[in-house]
Amino acid sequence: MTPRGAAPWLRFSVALLLVGMFAALAWVLLGLPPRSAGLQPQVAAQMAVSGVDHPVTAVLLNFRGYDTLLEMAVLLLACLGVWSLSPAVPPTDETPGAMLAALPRQLVPLMVLMAGYLLWRGATGPGGAFQAGAVLGAAGVLLLLTGWRLPVRWQGWRLRLLLIAGVGMFVLVALAVVPASGVLLGYPLPVAGTLILLIEALAGLSIGVTLMALFLGGEPGASR
Amino acid sequence: MAAEHVSLLPVLLIFLPLIGALLSFVFRRRAAGLGIATAVAVFVIAIALAFSLTRPQRYPVGGWGAPLGIDLVVDGLSLIMLLMSATVGLGVSLYAGGYFHARPQLARAFWPLWLGLWTALNGLFLAADIFNLYVTLELLGLSAVALAALGGSAAALGGAMRYLLVSLLGSLLYLLGVALLYHAFGSVDIALLGERASAQPVTLAALVLMTVGLILKTALFPFHFWLPPAHASASSPVSALLSALVVKASFYILLRLWLEIFEPLNPGRGVTELLGLLGALAVLWGSLQALRQTRLKLLIAYSTVAQLGYLFLGFPLAAAVGPAAWQAVIYLALSHALAKAALFMAAGNIVLFGGHDRIADLDRVVQRLPLSLAAFAIAGISLMGLPPSGGFIGKWLLLEAAIEAGQWWWVVIILIGGMLAAAYLFKVIGFAFTRAPVSHEANAVPPVMEWTALVLAVGTVLLGLWVSPLLAWLATGNPFGVGP
Repeated sequence: MTPRGAAPWLRFSVALLLVGMFAALAWVLLGLPPRSAGLQPQVAAQMAVSGVDHPVTAVLLNFRGYDTLLEMAVLLLACLGVWSLSPAVPPTDETPGAMLAALPRQLVPLMVLMAGYLLWRGATGPGGAFQAGAVLGAAGVLLLLTGWRLPVRWQGWRLRLLLIAGVGMFVLVALAVVPASGVLLGYPLPVAGTLILLIEALAGLSIGVTLMALFLGGEPGASR
Repeated sequence: MAAEHVSLLPVLLIFLPLIGALLSFVFRRRAAGLGIATAVAVFVIAIALAFSLTRPQRYPVGGWGAPLGIDLVVDGLSLIMLLMSATVGLGVSLYAGGYFHARPQLARAFWPLWLGLWTALNGLFLAADIFNLYVTLELLGLSAVALAALGGSAAALGGAMRYLLVSLLGSLLYLLGVALLYHAFGSVDIALLGERASAQPVTLAALVLMTVGLILKTALFPFHFWLPPAHASASSPVSALLSALVVKASFYILLRLWLEIFEPLNPGRGVTELLGLLGALAVLWGSLQALRQTRLKLLIAYSTVAQLGYLFLGFPLAAAVGPAAWQAVIYLALSHALAKAALFMAAGNIVLFGGHDRIADLDRVVQRLPLSLAAFAIAGISLMGLPPSGGFIGKWLLLEAAIEAGQWWWVVIILIGGMLAAAYLFKVIGFAFTRAPVSHEANAVPPVMEWTALVLAVGTVLLGLWVSPLLAWLATGNPFGVGP
């Protein structure tokens, strides 16, 4: 609430307050045991029935899959929020130089390949939908920066469908397994790995498209 | 894996609005129809849950169970909050159908954001895990900010920006508390934390961080500065949602954490008395500011600041007399939700009708929008705490608790707050009867917008009549623990 050019005494007291908070928190943290038991033993004990071999993926997509589902919704709503504020920045007619035009031709196919690898790698090692989506999103941003435009026929419901595909598939799987296992998001073990891969693939795609759509600064083709 | 059969109703309360949000985003020409259909379905399911819930239910998502997995829990307190959001949600959805009919550009953004907000609210009221609560809090905050900015005016954007910064700061403080508790006690499940937590510096640090984060989001005095601009400059259905439901969500988390984790550790009277004192100051300051306003929506927004203050009187009073104080507070929260939604809807009708919300120029609204003014007056009765209304019951229970505790100073605050509420509400009603010096063009208000405001206002009267069944629902699973 502090307005611009706040009185010196106010700045001083805010600084004092923050230093005090920092000192108190540091004191608390120094008093904590350096290693906490956490939930690693429980995660390790259930790895065999998780459907994947990497503990982080098992926690994100299976044990705490519900959190990840809601996080996907957070990302989607962030994009919706940006779109609701204004239409996209209109594209300029500038043609990129030879270097800029050549760069994405070399990089983007590699980045897509990389995203696919990261996605696949998630089952056994660090990787998965969020990492794959980040690389895919970066490829999209690179394309937009070098003069590529989203084709008009991909600006309408097709783009919106891509944006919701990840959370949509997650919801679909979460509910579809209820008759088989009796609980929401209870993947039956024989198909757990496949279902997780299916969710991750669409989630990675949606995350990538969402990050690119955020970079558009508004809804493409919308008029206000 | 869980073998025992548990009801799927709570899960549907989270997933139906989420599916509605996705569908209304993709099929935007049908957004209003999809949104209203979702709202009706959620309302019906919430009622079905209320009638089928005989004891608290724990739902292990994924079948893992805490602490490895995430559990959802529904008890009396969650149930009342779910019913509150279902009732106000249905009302606002019908109202928004009329409000946004002439504004298709805004409607296509409103429906997915609002259904996303509803997903977050229901998920939050069902969560039993402090990290899952954080995720729902983020979903809630982001969709609320986007909705607040929807009006598009400079005031709305400025208010929404400040709201975003406060909301993020609150979330981060809360998240820091989550990290501390998880590191110290190895779980994020509230019930397990309640068993394991002990009084030590780290617990106290978590208590302070989470409490400050959540009262920032609840706009408790002196952290209320962001609320009036954000709530008053949003479009009217959004104002109703923000004031009636969103600020209650962070209060609910604070109450849950307090009841299950922090209160049993006896953090001392200082904490409860301080929260009570801030609540009392909020009642006085918010009411006095409301009295000074010349704009109708700002007046209603300051009234929210005041009404939120009463909720925090529960902390010192519950420390003295036990669960009765919390019953009173939840009853007040529920009545305020209905009354405030009705007030903002009625104000929205007046703005739509006359094109402005200057209180002094409310040219004979009583003759021209009788239903809306009736809604305003009936909802006002509940805010003042006059019988027969939910606000009266809530205040009566709170007064009883204060008298039983022998803490007369809270009695004085509650009575002064009621009188100030009467003063600022009669100011509006007075101008609605008189002829304004400048008359203005009048726009037609869709009947559905007038009727939904009136029905929610009448709901506050019904809350004053159906006290015992509601208190019985609230007591399911004894959420407030046993008295001293």
